[in-house]
Amino acid sequence: MVELSELENDALIEIFNIGVGQAAASMSALVSEEVRMSVPSISFISRADAARLLGSRLAAEAEAPDRICGVSQHYEGAFDTDAILMFPEDKSLELVRLMVGETVSLQELTDMEQEAMCEIGNIILNACIGTLANVFEQELRGSLPEYHVGTSDEILGVSGSEPDSVVLMLHIDFALDKHQILGYVAFVLDISALHDLKEQINRYIARAMGQA
Amino acid sequence: MTTVRDPSLDLLHSVLNAVTLGAVVLDHDRRVVLWNDWMSEHAQIPQQQALGADFLALFPALRGSRVDAAIDQALRHHFPSLLSQSLNKAPFPLYANAAAARLDDRLQQAVAVTPVDVANAPRHCLIQINDVSIAVGREKLLREQTLVLRSQTFADGLTGIANRRHFDVAIEREHRRARRHGTPLSLLMIDIDHFKAYNDHHGHQKGDQCLIQVAAALSGMLRRSADLMARYGGEEFAMILPDTDTAQATQMAEAIRARAEALAIAHAHGGNSGVVTVSIGVATRSVASAVNIDTLIGAADRALYRAKKNGRNRVEVQTPG
Repeated sequence: MVELSELENDALIEIFNIGVGQAAASMSALVSEEVRMSVPSISFISRADAARLLGSRLAAEAEAPDRICGVSQHYEGAFDTDAILMFPEDKSLELVRLMVGETVSLQELTDMEQEAMCEIGNIILNACIGTLANVFEQELRGSLPEYHVGTSDEILGVSGSEPDSVVLMLHIDFALDKHQILGYVAFVLDISALHDLKEQINRYIARAMGQA
Repeated sequence: MTTVRDPSLDLLHSVLNAVTLGAVVLDHDRRVVLWNDWMSEHAQIPQQQALGADFLALFPALRGSRVDAAIDQALRHHFPSLLSQSLNKAPFPLYANAAAARLDDRLQQAVAVTPVDVANAPRHCLIQINDVSIAVGREKLLREQTLVLRSQTFADGLTGIANRRHFDVAIEREHRRARRHGTPLSLLMIDIDHFKAYNDHHGHQKGDQCLIQVAAALSGMLRRSADLMARYGGEEFAMILPDTDTAQATQMAEAIRARAEALAIAHAHGGNSGVVTVSIGVATRSVASAVNIDTLIGAADRALYRAKKNGRNRVEVQTPG
């Protein structure tokens, strides 16, 4: 669907790893404990394929399939996108409880825990987009995070984007103590946003090569 | 010259002062340009004092905090931030009333920091503060009730003290707390001496009674709510003592050993004393020896083994790692 050259792919992975590295540092400071995060891979897929992928992957890991927790923020500027951090519902319970240091877990995230989840999403998404904006030397503005629970298709469609939108999907490895949690960040892009993003990547690479 | 004030400005002003949340606007140099009545009341800083003041001069303790970083994100990068109560508790010194202020009993807060575009001026930011104290209280109650319900499955069927599952959860929680706060965490492994011989000689019913009696007496010695005694295995008990260093833990272990002996439960095959006694292994996780849970349990186990080997009815200490 969207082909990235090896160079473009590596550049994006590097940028996102800088972003989540900063997010991990913020989160470590917040909980006075080391939080590690990395982005091992990225891919461009259609929104429909992304929903299917998330549905099957997350369902394979989760005990109760289908239900996904998402935190979304809308960004606009150099390119427009809905950024969504997603975990299977039980993993998001685990993540929030690890972060908050709470051991008495209820069936679902409470209101306060949902808000904590929103903050975690806010930190990660702002860091990812912020790093992109920084290397692109462009400005992006964001909305406040929103919390969602539902199927992957519902979560990816929260913005009302068309099913033929493209999704830039990041795998995020999150580690705290001896716990390892795998999540996803999806950037939903329409065709013109995708075009803008590719153009920014190429400009960045040209600048980086020129400096080398 | 007379200026005609736009009446909608007066309305906005009144609304802003009527809302039940804190609203503060900072200009690009982080000076307060808007401070609503809610802030005046709960921060106990009047508007005339706040307006024009540097934000960090008003709240010096917030320098380098997440609030500080969020303001930076809004002013410099145009990104909004959400600061949840669960992860940030109560960053602002805001109080329900003067009495609460004297006790430093802060309102629980949910904070949002959003960039605000202003015509003909560099970007400002809006800080909104919601008092979520009621919701926090409600969830605390919910959690406590859940804990009570769950504790029924966390109790040992025979002795009524915590079971192994409860121990596993508690050691995990206390280990995390010790690591985050840099406090020592001690673990005692307690084993009834010659218990098999006691069972063989006095029968299993007597054996059960012995376990119940020892468990009740020893767990009754714990005074702090975070201390926990659990039945670890057959005749083995574990005691979690948070915020307790090796010297204090050893002292406690000695008191426990003496208490068990003082129960004077007759034991025909109980060694020299003729009564039921216990051996205890002590291990402490400290900042200097910041080991993981398995290593801590391993050290307490080794100490217990040594106490058995060195004649029983005694306390041994093992430094983990």
